[in-house]
Amino acid sequence: MNPSRRKFLKRGLIGGGLLVLAGTLPFAFRTTALGRRPRRELRLLSLEEHAVLAAAAARLVPGDGAGPAWPTAEAVDCAGKVDALLATCHPDVGNDFRRLLRLFESGFFGTFIAASPRPFTRATPAEQDARLEAWRRSRFTMLRSGYQAIKRLTHAAYYSSPEVFARVGYAGPPEVPQVPA
Amino acid sequence: MVRGEQSSPAPHAAKPPGRIIPGAELGAMSAHEVDFAIVGSGAGGSVAAAVLAAAGAQVAVVEEGGHYTRNDFNMQEAWAYPALYQEHGNRTTDDLAIMILQGRNVGGGTTVNWTSSFRTPAPTLRLWAERHGVGDIDAATLEPHFAAVEARLDVGPGNPDDVNANNRKLMDGAAKLGWAPELIRRSVKGCARLGYCGMGCPLDAKRTSRTTFLADAIADGAVVYSDCRVKLVETDRGRAKAVVAEVLDRASDRPRGRMIVHARKGVVLAGGAINTPALLLRSHAGNESGVVGKRTFLHPTVPMVAFYDQPIEAFYGPPQSVSVHHFSNRGARVGYFLETAPVHPMLGALALPGFGDAHRRMAERLPFVQATIALLIDGHHEDDGGDVSVNKDGRISLRYPLNAALREAAIDALGNMARLQLAAGAREVVTLHETPIVIRSEADIARIADAPFIANGHTMFSAHQMGGCAMGSDPRRSVVNSRGRHHQLENLWIADGSVFPTALGVNPQISVYAHARLFATAIAQGAAAEPAR
Repeated sequence: MNPSRRKFLKRGLIGGGLLVLAGTLPFAFRTTALGRRPRRELRLLSLEEHAVLAAAAARLVPGDGAGPAWPTAEAVDCAGKVDALLATCHPDVGNDFRRLLRLFESGFFGTFIAASPRPFTRATPAEQDARLEAWRRSRFTMLRSGYQAIKRLTHAAYYSSPEVFARVGYAGPPEVPQVPA
Repeated sequence: MVRGEQSSPAPHAAKPPGRIIPGAELGAMSAHEVDFAIVGSGAGGSVAAAVLAAAGAQVAVVEEGGHYTRNDFNMQEAWAYPALYQEHGNRTTDDLAIMILQGRNVGGGTTVNWTSSFRTPAPTLRLWAERHGVGDIDAATLEPHFAAVEARLDVGPGNPDDVNANNRKLMDGAAKLGWAPELIRRSVKGCARLGYCGMGCPLDAKRTSRTTFLADAIADGAVVYSDCRVKLVETDRGRAKAVVAEVLDRASDRPRGRMIVHARKGVVLAGGAINTPALLLRSHAGNESGVVGKRTFLHPTVPMVAFYDQPIEAFYGPPQSVSVHHFSNRGARVGYFLETAPVHPMLGALALPGFGDAHRRMAERLPFVQATIALLIDGHHEDDGGDVSVNKDGRISLRYPLNAALREAAIDALGNMARLQLAAGAREVVTLHETPIVIRSEADIARIADAPFIANGHTMFSAHQMGGCAMGSDPRRSVVNSRGRHHQLENLWIADGSVFPTALGVNPQISVYAHARLFATAIAQGAAAEPAR
């Protein structure tokens, strides 16, 4: 076993083991529902990974209860923005996130965590929310961490979008004149 | 000689000014030779460059981040956090429990800090003297350096006109409870109180290292290379010889070349906590003590939000103008101090727990949110802080356990922040546990202690990173001496917040500048007597 993997597992039997497990789920994306095509050319994520992230983003941002004035995650291209950001990060960061999405999508893994046997992209909205909640409240640090990774990247992309500013009562920054360089 | 002072040592012949050279101007391979190579252009690196260049040395500053000026600062979170912060705004502890805001650009943390200016507290200096072998730095030692730094950064008395509604609530609540709120001194000149300090000041009203000491260094001939990430310090027989850097393509942040800067006289590391220890570890150099990276401190920060009936609009106005140090000394327990944080949409959304409509119901009340933060003062008791390491690919890892002492302090702070906001007239106060606790009266506060405070169970972040290359007199327990000189590498110095043996207990910029100036002055005096090798 190479030293970096050994150190990774040492972080917690469950924690390190989970991402190792993700790597052994080769068929996690076999039944992924791809949904709408990405709005921009992807730089890191595969089509399947983008689909999982887009499906999660749709549940993480304000939903139907918010009313039609709130943009959807797809309208502000949350998943595409996250892809573009991760493509500039250390390659390990992007690879870890891709493995996380594989785990999140997995119907096999979902059965144990949230009693939800369907791939995330094929689950009902209520089942999707249940899986997000299960990770959010899990007693396992790695799952809570995994939820936070997906949530933070999604919310950062969504709430930094100018289309959302009016919804949160923010008028945006003031005009400041540019000066000669 | 530093700008505005009497000359000492003797003035040198004027050199042509240097400049900032972006990575895009460098070829695939380049080599440079100077007297001093300085890694990092933030508070420590800039003042070290200014002192050494003014003393006649040929200086190169090598900065990982990009060079941005006021015209680039568009006050948009979507641009600012990826462009100006470490790991594109995504730096965290290993378990993601603590989000780490740390600058990465020409100017470092000073480009994105909230201008708060405090001298190193006397109790902290005493602690360092009594328990960490830093016996010759006291207030008198630092006084000329504090004075010079504050003058150059236009740090004036705290201004009541700087107090926005967000800070007013902190002041009012603390005053009612007898907790002695104070106005914060700020490093600004001509501030228009826009509120975007954390995204780069579009007016250059914030006095940053780029607009002050780095500019001074450049005027005295220093060259600054931006978009150059130092990967290694080369050493040979007990001396630092050069720094080797990847030249980065700014758009993709991927290496497009390499450069080496040979240092005839010495190397100064000033990339900041986390980064400087990681650089030494990657270089397999300078860790004879075995303590490089250990005792890394974060002022782990616990936020709390209060909702008011009237608009607070915590996204406008100076982010910080009031502080409360009533709880800094809690005897044997971890202390903390209270300030505010700005609440722009993205930062606010990241802090608020939950998702979907539950999250939205808080986010849409943003204009009515007041945000108080408690900064835990780590490292002053038996807590050992965090541990920086690097993997085989050079990726930095920071393990920071939330031990019982920190959890106790966090829970105590949440209770007191709630009391403060209720005293200031909040309709309700809400903790940022994943299951928030809503507090409308003193009777509700007891429920905070019943809620588990666990990693990723409550929002936490860090805006101050310290330690990891502690100064001290014992080479078995410290990395540098009390003038920043490495115990084993005779011509390597560290001049950033990583030298602090514990967390400071106040916002760090003035301490970093002043200690770096103290160290650089000693370097310049020594270098004047030593030949280059």
